Amino acid sequence: MEPRPPVFALRGVGKAFDGPAVLSDIDLCIRPGEQVALVGPSGAGKSTLIGLLNGTLQPTRGEVRVLGHDLSRLGSRARRGVQYRIGTIYQQFHLIDNLRVVHNVNMGHLGRWSLFKAFVSLFWPLEVARARHALEQVGIADKLYARTGHLSGGQQQRVALARVLAQNPEAILADEPIASLDPERAREIMDLLRDLSRRRDKTLVASIHAVEFATSHFERVVGLRAGRILFDCAAGDVTPAMIDALYRIEHEADRGGPVGAGPAWAPQ
Amino acid sequence: MSLIGTRAERAESSVARPGARPFPVNGRAAAFCLFLLAVAWAVDQAGMFSGDVVNEGGWSIAGRFVRAAVRPDLSSELLRLALPSALITLAYAVCGTVLSLAIGIVGGVLSSEVWWQARSRTGRPSRRALLPWLGARGALALPRAIHEAVWGLFFIHVFGLDPISAILAIAIPFGAITAKVFAEIFDETPQGPLRALLGGGASPPHAFLYGLLPAAFPYLLSYALYRFECALRSAAVLGLIGAGGLGYQILLSLESLRYEQVWTFLYALILLVALTDAWSSLLNRRLNVSSTTGLHATMDAPRPAVVGEGGGGRPAAEPHRPRRRSGDFAVRLSLMAAALLIPFSFWYVRAGWGKVFEERTQRNFDLIARDAFPPNLAPALLGDLLHLSAQTLAMSIVAITVAGLGGLLLSFPAAANFTLPGGLFDTGARRGPQVIFGGAILLVTRGLLLVTRALSESIWVLIVLFVLFPGILPGAIGLGLYNLGVLGRLMAEVTENVDNRPLRALLAQGATPAQVFLYGVLPKTLPRCVAYVLYRWEVCIRATAVVGIVGAGGLGRRLSQELTRFDYGAVLTILLCFLLLTFLVDLISAAVRRTLR
Repeated sequence: MEPRPPVFALRGVGKAFDGPAVLSDIDLCIRPGEQVALVGPSGAGKSTLIGLLNGTLQPTRGEVRVLGHDLSRLGSRARRGVQYRIGTIYQQFHLIDNLRVVHNVNMGHLGRWSLFKAFVSLFWPLEVARARHALEQVGIADKLYARTGHLSGGQQQRVALARVLAQNPEAILADEPIASLDPERAREIMDLLRDLSRRRDKTLVASIHAVEFATSHFERVVGLRAGRILFDCAAGDVTPAMIDALYRIEHEADRGGPVGAGPAWAPQ
Repeated sequence: MSLIGTRAERAESSVARPGARPFPVNGRAAAFCLFLLAVAWAVDQAGMFSGDVVNEGGWSIAGRFVRAAVRPDLSSELLRLALPSALITLAYAVCGTVLSLAIGIVGGVLSSEVWWQARSRTGRPSRRALLPWLGARGALALPRAIHEAVWGLFFIHVFGLDPISAILAIAIPFGAITAKVFAEIFDETPQGPLRALLGGGASPPHAFLYGLLPAAFPYLLSYALYRFECALRSAAVLGLIGAGGLGYQILLSLESLRYEQVWTFLYALILLVALTDAWSSLLNRRLNVSSTTGLHATMDAPRPAVVGEGGGGRPAAEPHRPRRRSGDFAVRLSLMAAALLIPFSFWYVRAGWGKVFEERTQRNFDLIARDAFPPNLAPALLGDLLHLSAQTLAMSIVAITVAGLGGLLLSFPAAANFTLPGGLFDTGARRGPQVIFGGAILLVTRGLLLVTRALSESIWVLIVLFVLFPGILPGAIGLGLYNLGVLGRLMAEVTENVDNRPLRALLAQGATPAQVFLYGVLPKTLPRCVAYVLYRWEVCIRATAVVGIVGAGGLGRRLSQELTRFDYGAVLTILLCFLLLTFLVDLISAAVRRTLR
């Protein structure tokens, strides 16, 4: 059997906003079913990388292929078709607070619902059984009709997860999913993410601050620093020295030059 | 006790069946049905179904008027008249605003809770402070409820056609409104620094000055700017009742059928409003108070979004671009302009300030007071007034419906975060067409909103009266158009301040822009927009007075008739009707807003 094509393939990718490059020379290949943690200090470019993977951002150089497609070359309809196969959860949940939970979960269906169906569902919620099933899997089925903004942070992240489950994508991206949660809630969400993606054979890519979760919940760890990949290895091979190099505070000598200009500390 | 019990039970019963589909008929649905009924009743009252509202003979004149728009009279003779008229209007607005701010600061401090809290030693308002606090609040409530045009007519009767009438007509009601809003700004400003200073032994005035005022200042200034914009329109309206300036010239030219001249003055007014508008939004950006929409909602928005309640304020986690500090060029230039403009305005209007202390003024005042008390409560008059009050209410309902729906429709294309490049619905295809297309939509809708609100309700009524017979409908259309402009701009600000990230999250998972609008934009903006419409309705009911004065219908028209007959007893009764109507609308509006929350 031919191996399945990679879910994400990045070649020589760079991304700059109005200024110095946020990401440069990124080569990354993520295969179906892989569970990858992106670690690195604030400002390393983790969120930008996630944005490139779900098509929110386009690279300024190089090529990003998502499920075999170069999103920047697709028309808007075809691009949405690919984006529908990628689900994302965020640090700030990014739910619509003043809608009921059921609508936020149903937003996962928007990629295949017609506008008319979406409109009707706002007044008379449709596919409620599926929404309830998704919420059951994240453990808050009783909140189906609650106002989303009234839920706690941990519950809101569960709603966001249920939205992704309803979407049923091939890959799940998570941008700092636990950075706004307390340690107990964080562990629950990480366990859920790991178990749900394993059980359904989903690809999982999560950017995450807490290195201990990166090694305990993922197979592969990618270290980002100043817009470049510092290491990319199996979770078991990550050493304290690598983590130290990743989070080391820059010294005076390292500052001043353009970010990502390849300072001398890069060991590889 | 039993009441508390039932409430607890009700709360429990909603938890008892978790995840059950809620009954679709709730408070909101009921409010919506009531709204539909109210609109049907109001439209019927306005005579839409009974016909005979359109003056067929008026179309040719209206055509002439519209054609004149493209060729305003730009002769040097007329421009020499337009410039001083515009300056008079501007000067009235400046003087009125300055005085109203003075009233607003004093009244605002005295009617704020935080001031009386700061003065009491316990940190809680003492019982002794309750009386002056309530007194200040009560004293400010009455001037606020009466429209500035009515104040204008009153002062004309006292002072005669002197600039002082126009200035005081702006200063007194605006001062009362400003005081209320300032008090709310003081109360909503974070009070940690103030408490810290008081705890350190500072006197209440010092603590107020150093601990509260600096944090509140940008919001106070922003509201002051907004008040100035309102004052400019009011100054033009006061011209219509004889105070001079642009409004007076518009009326004169309109009555002598010189439509080319009318347009010259209209364009001058639009220009003046547009400049103020651009200047104040520039300053607002510089002062970093983008979420003052709560303040601008109404003449007296009860809950200014100073600290960004709920979805309104800029979300804290959003990355801020570094903003320039308040010492920057635009702010400094504005301060200099204000420093020049204020003395110039007071000099230019040549108001007879001495008249305040003249014996004749006292005599006029006594005369009016003696005639006005007791108010005329003859059954025939009361019967008339009941009917007119119903009509006035109907006028305000039609007006606010037109304004709300129209404003909502125009607000989305007028929001800068939609169609422009980098906006939510940027197709991302080609840069050039996006800029032209998005920019054109933005300009046209914003221009439309600007013109509708620059001309103010009374000038719209004068225009609409070409083709409609006097009555409820022209007043409703005039009020509706003006408030459409105001609400459209406010709602566009709401949309621009919406947290974009959840919307981008929906786009990232493959939803179409239309779906994102439905599931993201509308749910996030609609509650706030509806609240604004309800606030604005309160403003609308007061403003029915001025459209009546310029010739529409309802209580306002009767008011101006009784004023010309010097029947002050009837005038007072009509004012009481206005107060009751305002009170009723405030009550309904507050109740509906509660069900929406």
